[in-house]
Amino acid sequence: MEEAKAYIETGILELFVLGQLTAPEEVRVLGMASEHPHVKQEIEAIEIAMEQYAVENAIQPSAGLEQKILDKIKNTAPAVAKQEAKIVSLNPNSKDEYQSKVRTLRFALAACASLLIVCAAALYSAHNDLGIAREQIASLSLDREKFSSTVSFMKDNNADLNKLVSMSDDPDWKTVKLAGKKDPKDNMVVYWHAKGRHVIVNNEKMALPANDKDHQYQLWALVNGKPVDLGVFDVKPDSAHILLDMKGIGAVQAFAVTLEKRGGNPTPTMEQMMVMGGV
Amino acid sequence: MAASKKISLSEEELVSKLKSQDTIAIQALYDMYSGALLGVISRIIQQTEVAEDLLQETFIKIWNSAGSYDSTKGRLFTWMMNIARNLSIDKLRSKDFKNALKNQDIENNVDFIDAQKGVSFNADLLGIKDLVTALKPEFKAVLDMVYFKGYTHVEAAEELNLPLGTVKTRIRMGIMELRKHFN
Repeated sequence: MEEAKAYIETGILELFVLGQLTAPEEVRVLGMASEHPHVKQEIEAIEIAMEQYAVENAIQPSAGLEQKILDKIKNTAPAVAKQEAKIVSLNPNSKDEYQSKVRTLRFALAACASLLIVCAAALYSAHNDLGIAREQIASLSLDREKFSSTVSFMKDNNADLNKLVSMSDDPDWKTVKLAGKKDPKDNMVVYWHAKGRHVIVNNEKMALPANDKDHQYQLWALVNGKPVDLGVFDVKPDSAHILLDMKGIGAVQAFAVTLEKRGGNPTPTMEQMMVMGGV
Repeated sequence: MAASKKISLSEEELVSKLKSQDTIAIQALYDMYSGALLGVISRIIQQTEVAEDLLQETFIKIWNSAGSYDSTKGRLFTWMMNIARNLSIDKLRSKDFKNALKNQDIENNVDFIDAQKGVSFNADLLGIKDLVTALKPEFKAVLDMVYFKGYTHVEAAEELNLPLGTVKTRIRMGIMELRKHFN
């Protein structure tokens, strides 16, 4: 309060109202005014006094000056028109906004389209990869089949070989060699187990010409001068098994092989006797 | 073409209409303050024609810079008065105005007398004269220099060969007397 009073008494407020202060000084006065209501009241009192003083000193302008001023203002009314134009240009602005939205949407559309293309390309490449993978799977499964067939072939072979080994250990197994009748180069081996009534031929130890699809070799047992059918077999270059079980027989004097029609004959065709061998 | 019906608005209405560029604000301001502003201008620039041109300029500037008026910094009239004063002082100090004065040295006296005649018809002016004489002469001299003649208080101190503090005190005392008078 004291501060405000002292400030007022410096006479700075009068100079302020008279526009006699520099800009920083004015800022200081305004600061004091906002801080001290008393200072603000004092400024207003001075302003009103100066205003009244000016009104008391008024000089009426000549008639028509007001109209002149109004005309000029309406001519500078481009200032107003400009403002109105600005207000109107809010629509173009909103249009701009709209256009920018459209632009954004266009960008989004373009982005979507390119994304779609990328997706399609990815899908296509994935499809190709899938095809390749399928082919690989097919070839792998083919390989696997080959391997498994090879394995089973080898297992069979192994089993046959084991059987051969055990057969050679068993004194009851007899090995009967059959010699060529038509061609002396023909020969084969028959294993016979009398007690167990087993008859096995060995594909590995067989030298016979391969039969065609209409004919098969037929094994016969000669029992007391009579031929007994022991079954048919094929001679192929790629036979899967080493050993081939034939029909069993208990007593036999000799084995013979004839070439018969596919499926075999009830009685042997003697002219087609390929090999024969006695026990 | 003096307005048959004087427009008078409250200060708040005036400010808001002025800021929204409603020409009614200028009409109202003209009706309320054109005389007072011309009074201020005429003390600085005596030539009626030039003073009226300046009054016109003042109103156009008021119109165009309405956006810059800040009511927290002072009353509307104080702002308008400072515009009028500054335009007048600028004119007073401009080269072409000084040259025109020199060239019309002889006619000047006639103009001055005419101007004096012109104002003497103004009833308000009679009141001023009374008031001006009512102020103590030492206050009146200083106050008129800074308020009407466009002097800064520093220039006034130099012109009157007075200490700056004395000039400040006299301005304050003069305004105090005015306030007493108007109350």
